[in-house]
Amino acid sequence: MNDVRNIYKPIKARLTEVIDESPLIKTFVLIPEEEFSFGTGQFIELSVDGIGEAPFTPSSSPHVKDKLEVTVMRTGYVTDIMHTLKPGAFMGIRGPYGRGYPVETFFGKEVIILGGGCGLAPIRSLLYALEHIKDKLEKVILCYGSKTPADCVYKPLFNRLNNTEKFEAYRTVDKPDEGWDGSVGVVTTLLNKIRFNLENSIAVVCGPPIMMKFGTIRLIEMGFNEDQIYLSMEKNMSCGLGKCGHCMMGEFFVCKDGPVFTYRELKNTPDIWK
Amino acid sequence: MQYLSIKKEEWEKAIEQLLLSYTIFAALENEFGIDYEMVRPENIGSISYNKAKPATSLKTFFLPVKENVTSGIALKRRRIIIGAPNCDIHGLKILDEIYLDKDFSDQAYKERRDNTLLISVDCFVKQEHCHCTSYGIKPWSDEDSDLAVIRNNDLIVFRVNNDRGREFIKQLAFVQVLKDEKIISDIDSANSKAESLLVESNKGLPDYQATGAIVKNAGDSIWRKYSASCVSCGACATICPTCSCFLLIDKPGFEKIKQLDACQYPGFQRVAGGEDSLGELHARFRNRYMCKYVWKPQKFSPIACTGCGRCIEACIGKINKNELFKELAT
Repeated sequence: MNDVRNIYKPIKARLTEVIDESPLIKTFVLIPEEEFSFGTGQFIELSVDGIGEAPFTPSSSPHVKDKLEVTVMRTGYVTDIMHTLKPGAFMGIRGPYGRGYPVETFFGKEVIILGGGCGLAPIRSLLYALEHIKDKLEKVILCYGSKTPADCVYKPLFNRLNNTEKFEAYRTVDKPDEGWDGSVGVVTTLLNKIRFNLENSIAVVCGPPIMMKFGTIRLIEMGFNEDQIYLSMEKNMSCGLGKCGHCMMGEFFVCKDGPVFTYRELKNTPDIWK
Repeated sequence: MQYLSIKKEEWEKAIEQLLLSYTIFAALENEFGIDYEMVRPENIGSISYNKAKPATSLKTFFLPVKENVTSGIALKRRRIIIGAPNCDIHGLKILDEIYLDKDFSDQAYKERRDNTLLISVDCFVKQEHCHCTSYGIKPWSDEDSDLAVIRNNDLIVFRVNNDRGREFIKQLAFVQVLKDEKIISDIDSANSKAESLLVESNKGLPDYQATGAIVKNAGDSIWRKYSASCVSCGACATICPTCSCFLLIDKPGFEKIKQLDACQYPGFQRVAGGEDSLGELHARFRNRYMCKYVWKPQKFSPIACTGCGRCIEACIGKINKNELFKELAT
C-alpha cells in the first residue's frame, strides 16, 4: 500500500507562531512539510502527536500557499493540549476535506456574512478569498456578534475591512463593557442596519448552532430564499472521509457533502441545529 | 449457471492442500451453533453446509474491530472464506460503497477484499430471526460470491458465480462438471423451499422500502417504548454486517488506530462545544433505524439491512426490531 496515499496518515506541519487572540482562543501558524492547499470553507483534521485530532477550518487565505493559520478555541482535551504547544512543535494535518464556499458563484453579487463567536475563523478565510476577487463582487458586508467585546477575535480585521473598497464590517456584543460604544444585542439586529439589494444577494452564516438557527430564520423572514443562504455546519467530523459516521446529519456526511450547505439542502434534515 | 462437483472426501483433502497457500476461514459447527473459525486439518470435518448462519457477520474479516491504519500492514496472504450466507455477501456491497469510494479508498479494506475468495452457502435451513427475503435477498447467492458451495450427501457441489470462482476451481483436482440434473433440481427445490419458509415466517413484516417510510414517520413514543430496555451496549451495531462506523485514536508518531464504533454509544456525535444531537437514548436508538432504512437508501444503492436478524439475537435488552416494525405497520 506504499504507492497509494494512505488516507488516514497526516502530513507533518511545523508550528512557527502562536498568536493569542483572546483568553480562550489562539491562532496557530503552520508550515506543512508537504505541498498543501485548500479552498475557503474546507476543513482540515489537525492533530497533536499521540493525543488526538479535531476538525478546523483554516482561518487564513486560501491564496497563501506556503503556510496556513488555524484558530482554535480551548474547549476540550485536544484543544487544551494544543494551547500548550510552542513554536517549533510539529502538528499533523489531514485534508483538506469537504465542500467549501462556492465563491465563483458569488460573482456579481452582494455577499452578506453573518458570523458569531469562533465562527469568525472560517469567515476570515472567506473574507480573504473575497478580497482576492473583489473586482468581481458588488459588495461584502460582515455582521459579527460576540458575547463580550473581549471575546471578539481579529479586532484589527474590522477597521481594515471598513477601509477596503466594497467591504463593510459591523459588530455587536451581547454584554457590553465600560469601553464599548457599539451595538448591543444579538447578531441578527445588525441585519436591520445594513443596506443591500436582496434580489442580488447571498448570505453566509457561520457560528454557534443557536446563532445559525436564528440567523437563518431572520434571513428567511427578510425574504432570502433557501438557495441564497449558505450554512457552514459544525459536527463531530472525525475521519473527514465520509466513512466513520460521527458527523452524519440525515443522509449527509457533513465532512464530505459539506461542511458548507445551502439551507435548501438541509431544511428537511432533522436536528441540524443541535 | 455452471455447476461443478467433487466428492466430499476429495474436497476435504483439497482444503488441506489449499491451507499450504491460503489462510482459510469457514463456518464451523460447534457446541453453540455455527461460527467462523480458522480452518485447520483437524476441523475440516466440522465445516457447516446448507445452513444459515454464522454467529459473527462477514464484515469482521474486512473491518477488524481494531487496526493500525497508518502502519501500512495489510493482508498479504491470500484468503478463502467458506460458508458466508447471502445476507452477509449483500452486506459487503454497502461496505464497498463506503470504503472503496472513488475519492477516498481505504487501502487496507481494498487489499482484504482483493485477496479474499468468497465461497457462499445456500441456506436450506433458516434460523429463528432470519428475514432476508423481506428485503429482497434470496437465501442463496448466484452472483455476488465467487462460488457457492452446497453439500448433497457425499458430494460437494459448486455453483460458479464469476470468473474468479472459475479460475480458482480449476486448480482443484477431481472437480467435474455436474451432469446429474436431478441434483441440480434438488438444490433448486431446497432453495425454493427455504425461500417460501422465510416468506411465510415473516408475514406481516414490511419490506425494506415500506420500513423506511414507517420509520421516517414514527413519533417519539415508539422509540421511547422500544429503547426502554436498551443499555447502549452497541451489540446490535457490532454484530451487524453493514454497521461500519469507527473512531480514530491517535498514537505517537502520528499513527492512527481505527476502532469500530457505534451510534448507540453515548457521545457518538457530541461536539467539543457540548451539543449532542444523539444525547438521548431514544434518539440514538432511532438513529440506527433511520440510518439503515431512510438515510443510507437516500445515499447508496445497496441495501443497509440484509435481514440477517443478528441484532435481534445479540440484544441483551431483548429488543426485537421486527416486532417494532410490525407494530409500526399496523
